[in-house]
Amino acid sequence: MSTLNAAIDASASALAAERARIEVAVSNLANAESTRAPDGRPYRRRDVVLSATPVETFDAVLGRAGAIGVAVAGIVEDRAPARQRYEPSHPDADAEGFVSVPNVDPAEEMVDMVSAARAYQANLTAISLVRDLLQRALELGRG
Amino acid sequence: MNEIGDAALVALLRRQMTHAVARQVVAAGNLANIDTPNFRAREVDFDVTLNHAVAGTLVTTHPDHLTAAADAPAGPLTRETAGAPVRRDGNSVQIDRELLAMTDAAGDFARAQTVLAAKFRLVRYALSESR
Amino acid sequence: MAIEQLIAGVAGGAAPPAATGRPAAGQGFEQSLGRLVTSVEGTNADANQAVSRMLDGSGDVHDAMIALQRADLTLQFTVQVRNKLVQAYQDIMRMPV
Repeated sequence: MSTLNAAIDASASALAAERARIEVAVSNLANAESTRAPDGRPYRRRDVVLSATPVETFDAVLGRAGAIGVAVAGIVEDRAPARQRYEPSHPDADAEGFVSVPNVDPAEEMVDMVSAARAYQANLTAISLVRDLLQRALELGRG
Repeated sequence: MNEIGDAALVALLRRQMTHAVARQVVAAGNLANIDTPNFRAREVDFDVTLNHAVAGTLVTTHPDHLTAAADAPAGPLTRETAGAPVRRDGNSVQIDRELLAMTDAAGDFARAQTVLAAKFRLVRYALSESR
Repeated sequence: MAIEQLIAGVAGGAAPPAATGRPAAGQGFEQSLGRLVTSVEGTNADANQAVSRMLDGSGDVHDAMIALQRADLTLQFTVQVRNKLVQAYQDIMRMPV
């Protein structure tokens, strides 16, 4: 049913993507002090990788302007080295008294979370705006 | 039904609605990609779209055009929004700008649709009165 | 009444023949109806095309709605004109020659 439905698909894909970003931010925050993750090493901060993905429609096949959605290309570990903190009393401290702590900056994670929430909200609004337009268009066919 | 005057009016209103839909779809796509790295905000290419409307057929001189089926109506093309500030992640989409664009497009569509619906009602009334 | 003017326009050259008799009246009306039926077939076909384009995603909803309205109005108009033409034809037939 036309590019309007494709637009809704695009907005819906954004909802999923932003939700993933929030979840990852929450996980990072929760594990900010995990010096010993399940694999024995300190927790590594995670990032969501997004990529623009055109919604498959007839228009897109013809090369015309279709709706561009977003896809989670993957969730990757931050490759930056773990930070070292001097805390000899810590159970995971090494011989010199340093602990490898996760490279999580709580402030940064909060900012990411807030921006993802805002983007989520905006895409919800977009969906309702497109739905309104569809309804208006259908009204033209009435009486 | 006076075919000449009515046909031109209907065609104009239809173009307005199609243009509004295109703007909505492009804005929705921008909003969906607000956090995609290196994504630049897009907008409907008004000049190209206008040429399509005037020519009435798919114009094939523009390099972005693909050969389309003969009966496929010309669709709006997009271009990158010029002058949009780019953030550190390479993204240039601004939430408020896109939401405003969607609200404007919705308003334009509603206006055209209201006029067209009224026109249809008028013709219907004229037909019913002359029975 | 506007509809009578439209009929006169649609009927083209076929003036109600008080003197010339039946054959001319029949021909003119037939042509007019033929033209109208063709336009109904045309708008109907357009509507079908627009709706199927809407359903397969290649067309817009408002385009389909407009096509449907035009088809409906053209049909209604045609039916009305036909009724008026038939009525006029019958009136003429009843005229004393």
